[in-house]
Amino acid sequence: MIGAGALTAEGPGHNAARQRGAALDIRGLTKRFPGVLAVDRLDLSVGEGEILALLGQNGAGKSTVIKALAGVYPHGGYDGDIRLGGQPHQPRSIAEAEAAGIVLVSQEIAVVHTLNLAENIFLNAEPTRYGFIDSALRLAGARQVLRDFGIGLDPRTPMSVLDLATQQLVVIARALSKNARVLILDEPTAALTDPEAQRLFEHLRALKQRGVSIIFVSHRLAEVFAIADRIAVMRDGRLSGVHATAQTSRDAIVSEMVGAVRSGAAGGLAVPERGATALEVRNLCVARKGDQPRRFVDDLSFSVARGEILGLFGLLGAGCAEAMLALFGAWQGRVKGHIFLGGKEITVKTPADAIKHGLGMVAQDRRDALILDHSIADNISVASLHTATERGFLDKPKLRRRVADLIGRVGIRAASMDAPVGSLSGGNQQKVQIARWLAADTRILLQVDPTRGVDVGARAEIHEIWRRLAEEGRTIVITSSEAEELVDVCQRVLVLRQGRVVAEVTGSQITEDRLLRAATGG
Amino acid sequence: MQDVTQARYLASGATFADAASVQARPRVFGASALRGSALLLVLLGIWLFFYFATDGTFLTQRNLVLLALQSSIVSLAAISAVMLIVSRNFDLSVGSAVALVGVVVAVLTVKWNVPVPLAVLASLAVGLMMGAWQGLWVTKLGVSSFIVTLAGMLYFRGLSMIITNGETVAPVPASLKGFATGFLPPAWSAVLIIACLAIYSLIQVRTALKAKRLEVIDSLAAPLMRTLPGAVVFGVAAIWLASWQGIPFLILLVAACAITAETVMRATPFGAKLYALGGNPEAARLSGVDLNRVVFTNFLIAGFAYGVIGIALTARVSGAVAGSAGLFLELDAIAAAIIGGTALSGGKGRIFGAILGALLMGSLNNGMSLMNVPTFYQDTARGIVLLLAVAIDQYGRRRNALTRNSA
Repeated sequence: MIGAGALTAEGPGHNAARQRGAALDIRGLTKRFPGVLAVDRLDLSVGEGEILALLGQNGAGKSTVIKALAGVYPHGGYDGDIRLGGQPHQPRSIAEAEAAGIVLVSQEIAVVHTLNLAENIFLNAEPTRYGFIDSALRLAGARQVLRDFGIGLDPRTPMSVLDLATQQLVVIARALSKNARVLILDEPTAALTDPEAQRLFEHLRALKQRGVSIIFVSHRLAEVFAIADRIAVMRDGRLSGVHATAQTSRDAIVSEMVGAVRSGAAGGLAVPERGATALEVRNLCVARKGDQPRRFVDDLSFSVARGEILGLFGLLGAGCAEAMLALFGAWQGRVKGHIFLGGKEITVKTPADAIKHGLGMVAQDRRDALILDHSIADNISVASLHTATERGFLDKPKLRRRVADLIGRVGIRAASMDAPVGSLSGGNQQKVQIARWLAADTRILLQVDPTRGVDVGARAEIHEIWRRLAEEGRTIVITSSEAEELVDVCQRVLVLRQGRVVAEVTGSQITEDRLLRAATGG
Repeated sequence: MQDVTQARYLASGATFADAASVQARPRVFGASALRGSALLLVLLGIWLFFYFATDGTFLTQRNLVLLALQSSIVSLAAISAVMLIVSRNFDLSVGSAVALVGVVVAVLTVKWNVPVPLAVLASLAVGLMMGAWQGLWVTKLGVSSFIVTLAGMLYFRGLSMIITNGETVAPVPASLKGFATGFLPPAWSAVLIIACLAIYSLIQVRTALKAKRLEVIDSLAAPLMRTLPGAVVFGVAAIWLASWQGIPFLILLVAACAITAETVMRATPFGAKLYALGGNPEAARLSGVDLNRVVFTNFLIAGFAYGVIGIALTARVSGAVAGSAGLFLELDAIAAAIIGGTALSGGKGRIFGAILGALLMGSLNNGMSLMNVPTFYQDTARGIVLLLAVAIDQYGRRRNALTRNSA
């Protein structure tokens, strides 16, 4: 069955869109989880053809709101009144919400790589004739959906060959083919580079012209200010303010999110006396397997001193994360170059080699680095088992003592060290990763965008941990997708663009503005 | 699907609900401990049923010892199966591999008149080589263990048939057969059981004392009460069983293998790495675990198991029958592991659980045979039990995930 709206994306309500009524109206939305009030009497409305940004720290309740709207939480699981175009919106499932015109595009780009575009677009909505899939109709429909959204691709293209942004666009096109009146985008740019994000925004503006309402959840303030008509800020489950974008400022929004007036720009830290060189990297080149000409890291050289916190900053694809993975022996492609530790050259082919030499890496994706169903204790101990053995057997009391100490030292909040790591918040999970390396007495900590998706409070705690570790004489190298974080914690930042260092900024010179300019070439 | 989204949700960031759940859910029992005792209850239930259904015959010392003997080969195979499944590998070849080792033992002792000890050593070496061979394919060439051992299942069986020309090689020397039929006398058995209990208790007390000294536990009572009473009950039951004729050597072998394997899994870095690798291979790799080495060692252990089981089986049936020895053993072993709580997705599983699983299936066979239930019905019943066991496991896990997410 081809949805009625699939081929007529201009759909009903197109003209009415100009009349700026409230497309979506939420009154008194309240959602409780046992012991927690996730959303507390929220009132919010979105006009037709309006882009509303929904901001807030992790745990503020944004996800809960959009999940209620999109039918992830079935109607009845929350209190309050939601109206869509004046009609009560009471979806019992995602399918019902979509049928009513509210479509959620979630953060992870959910596509089936082994299928082509047309198959992905009509996944679970395949047009059929006599019970068999009508591929011609599917192809025609997909072509229409893509053309309608301005994506000039053959619908027979396999999904796997597309870059993330295009995949994201296809997912959004697919969402719109379901005749969406309200499109909810949860961090749509998390995986995109800047130009890719710009492309997405152009499409969003075009949708807005058609009268589609968009709820846009993002952590990137610059984007929000570029695209949103209004900004709604949530804090602790409540709506703390809604502002016309033109009449507010980033600072105001941030303080509203944080709940306290932000102190003036930190402006970097004083540069302490430079200690002995701990790690030196010379002529590092990182490329994919095979003979592809593109190098992710191109002749990168730098050194870090003991007790220094060095930042690597660059947009996605600039080579920061790739350089870190290569240093840690975790890059599964080609690596060239020399690594010196305390003046001696070392060979790092696998993470085991790196760990042996006293390096550790806190990975960005906690699903890669942690064993979510295993306990906190097991996750912390896994890289340092050999240092707690007695005649070949694990010394469990010693292991547990060490874990208990580390939990206290990095401030992991959990009922017990036997709780599964998957039950912890993102910030606590990252602390588990840090504790793992402290258990192994790692001298050099590489951190790849370690606080992505970590709320502001936990982030401040993690920054404090880094500072203490640096004071102990450990060396920290961090990449971050947020310049602000590097401004707060680094003594020196290298800015990378296309795998090369384009700027080196130290001390009070480190400002968000400067880093971003260098990274974007602006 | 649900599980995946939940896992992602959990992984995707800090949520209030998660933070609350950590405080709200003190873990008195590990999930596996709870499951283990649930399995024990099911087993006791089945025993009680057969006790009444057979007018008491089922729960006689004689029958229980027989039951243990009948379950011994599957138990041995299940030990190896748990270790492999925990690291996300499968072994479909164990039945055929055991047949091949059996053929080696039988040919060496019967046709070539090689002394039994030498033949045993040679067979163990052959088993190890078979394990190493499969391990190489899995680790160096990256072929999935499912395929490697599926192939092994075919050609190990084929080789045994080629070597024996499909004929039975029997009878093996009395000293080999005596190993499978012999008993450690009751007095010695009691001494052995008490000695094992004493050593176990000593280790527990020592560990608890050290934990107390390092202030990881508040009182000695809690950890000791969790382990020692069960051990004493087990010991008393074992002594009662052994008072009939003693402990069969074959059961001693199973016990030794199980205890060693459990110790390796629970108390050595290798075991911890095995669980980590099974729980999340990428996380293990990023923590410095050499995945290939661990998996290869795992297959070496499986190879050693081929040797042990092949010898035990040949001794037990007093010869090698290339066509039928160890037939479906791999499936029984995997079933025992799964019933015993080993997760097919890896990272979770206990040796003792698998032994209970093997006993459970053995009990069904034994009990139904005593009741004169025809074989066809027995297979049907075992299949349904396996299905129920896995379904209950999945249900329990889903509930766990749900409460973890929203409670």
